[in-house]
Amino acid sequence: MAALARFITKNKLSKLTVTGQILLPDSASCLSVKAFLEMCGLKYSVVLRNNAEHMSPSGKVPFIQIGPFLISEFEPIIGFVNTKGFHLSANLDDTERAEMRAYMALVDNILVNAEHYISWCDATVLQTVTKPRYGSPYPWPLNKLVPLKKWYEETSRLKALGWSQKTLSEVCEEVQTCCQALSERLDKNNFFFGNRPTELDALVFGHLFTILTTPMPVNKLAEIVKNFDNLVHFCARIEQQYFSATEAS
Amino acid sequence: MADMDLEVWKGDWDLPSVDTNCLTVLFIKVHHMLYTSIMHVCCRHDSINIQMQVGRNSRMLYTCTLYIPRGLKYVQFIDNPEAYCKFSGVSIDIKATNNPRKSPTGCLPVLRHNGSAYTKVTDIFSYLRRKNWGIDFELNSKQSADILAFTSLLETKLLPAILHLWWGNSQVFIDITRPWYGSAVGFPQSLYVPNRMHKAATDRVETECYPHLEMTPQEKENLIYKEAQECITLLSKRLGNKPFFFGKTPSSLDAIVFGYLAPMLKAPLPVNPLSKHLGTCYNLCQLCSRILSKYFPLSREELEEKRKREEAEKARAQELGDFPHRTRNIVLAVLFALSSMVAFTFFTGMLALEIVDADGGGDNMSEPKGQGKRKS
Repeated sequence: MAALARFITKNKLSKLTVTGQILLPDSASCLSVKAFLEMCGLKYSVVLRNNAEHMSPSGKVPFIQIGPFLISEFEPIIGFVNTKGFHLSANLDDTERAEMRAYMALVDNILVNAEHYISWCDATVLQTVTKPRYGSPYPWPLNKLVPLKKWYEETSRLKALGWSQKTLSEVCEEVQTCCQALSERLDKNNFFFGNRPTELDALVFGHLFTILTTPMPVNKLAEIVKNFDNLVHFCARIEQQYFSATEAS
Repeated sequence: MADMDLEVWKGDWDLPSVDTNCLTVLFIKVHHMLYTSIMHVCCRHDSINIQMQVGRNSRMLYTCTLYIPRGLKYVQFIDNPEAYCKFSGVSIDIKATNNPRKSPTGCLPVLRHNGSAYTKVTDIFSYLRRKNWGIDFELNSKQSADILAFTSLLETKLLPAILHLWWGNSQVFIDITRPWYGSAVGFPQSLYVPNRMHKAATDRVETECYPHLEMTPQEKENLIYKEAQECITLLSKRLGNKPFFFGKTPSSLDAIVFGYLAPMLKAPLPVNPLSKHLGTCYNLCQLCSRILSKYFPLSREELEEKRKREEAEKARAQELGDFPHRTRNIVLAVLFALSSMVAFTFFTGMLALEIVDADGGGDNMSEPKGQGKRKS
């Protein structure tokens, strides 16, 4: 797959303008996919679109465009790249692969939902960050209505999953147990499985790095992650290895 | 200390409970009972002093004195750890209440102790662990992390398929799920409890398949079952040839997997898209049957009852042969034939009806043809 993979996300977080549009969960999944493509050694270009969410086949960013194909979200992208002959986890045995998938489900189940919760259910973050950012590309009154619609969708999704009834401290407890489990699994190794990065490394890096580096009015999640030294070092190492070169160039 | 009360859905189809979460918690309880052992017994004329080890955790030693009424044979306590636990105040009473309305979240199981109630399986586990009840004391922290990860895998991949199978599939819902829960909760509640559970389950399933995406129900179903099959394969590979997921003794992961898979294996579902795939994962089926036979053996009365039920069903099947509703069909056919004959006679004019007054309109009656019937 030498062909260029176009990689479309929403407006990037930017220091100059306050009108960035992307939110914490989307930003994290974009970074996961980027890390995955970097680890595979694939070339891609990032395209920013205001309406990326509506262009995506599943309604979620990021999605990639390769020739005639549009594939969105982390797992389908991995599946597609695997069919083209790029495997990150080819050297794992069956048990390890099962464990890797289990840990990926753990990140999906807890970290991703916690990110959604903090963005859409926490009143401070909702009013000061989420709603202004999400409505920023639209003129008045759409900039009030569109976030409201999205808020309704998000809260009903979290409700069905049993997350919207939780308090912030319960969510923090969940994140704490999740990080504890990841930290135990990583131990003192460079990567989660063996000496080479796997899909799990890309996924964990994307989420933890975004949580650590995104300034938020309520940064309890970041404080929790910071307590786990090996996870923080893991993020710094991956960033150094895969992203420092590209940003310099 | 008051007993802990555990409220669960009742059992059926040779299972101690039909609900996934209830099964998981019941497993922990029974496992704990099996490993409770008596260390020391000292008998006096009116009481017994007992020292016992509760659970597999050797740190917990209870000493209790039973004052027994005269004439009661203390021997009957010796083989019954449950009785000891009860007297030491750490027993769990299981109540098949089938009444989710009393639960704080509207779901079962509920564990009540000293005025507080716990409904989530993870909460119940951690509460029991604080009381030194539990199962995972022998695992290291890495294995506990693995359990958490696999539990997430089950929750995100297998749970939607199971909910879809029991509540989303209209044939199963109408034939099995709704009648079962309806009869379990009793009359006035049967009107709304199954519907409420149905809505919660379908909402949960919907979150898995992008609500704003235009997919046909068939495509959604395929997506959900495909993920569930992958999940079952991963579990089967992780289990390998070992008797339990972490070696020779069961862990809470075994309890959870058992809770998910046992109802699917045991219930008489009219359609089951996962059963074929589950059949190929032989080790998982064996795990479930091993747990069932070791931890939840059927009592003699239950076995007797099951044998009788099977015989009755067999006899009925033989009697009816290939036509299960033979009598009903005959009655319906006769009724249909009769009504069509009557209608035919009406419309061709062979039969006419007239209202006859009681005070002697007898001569008004007309019979156009000799063979017509008369009605009044």
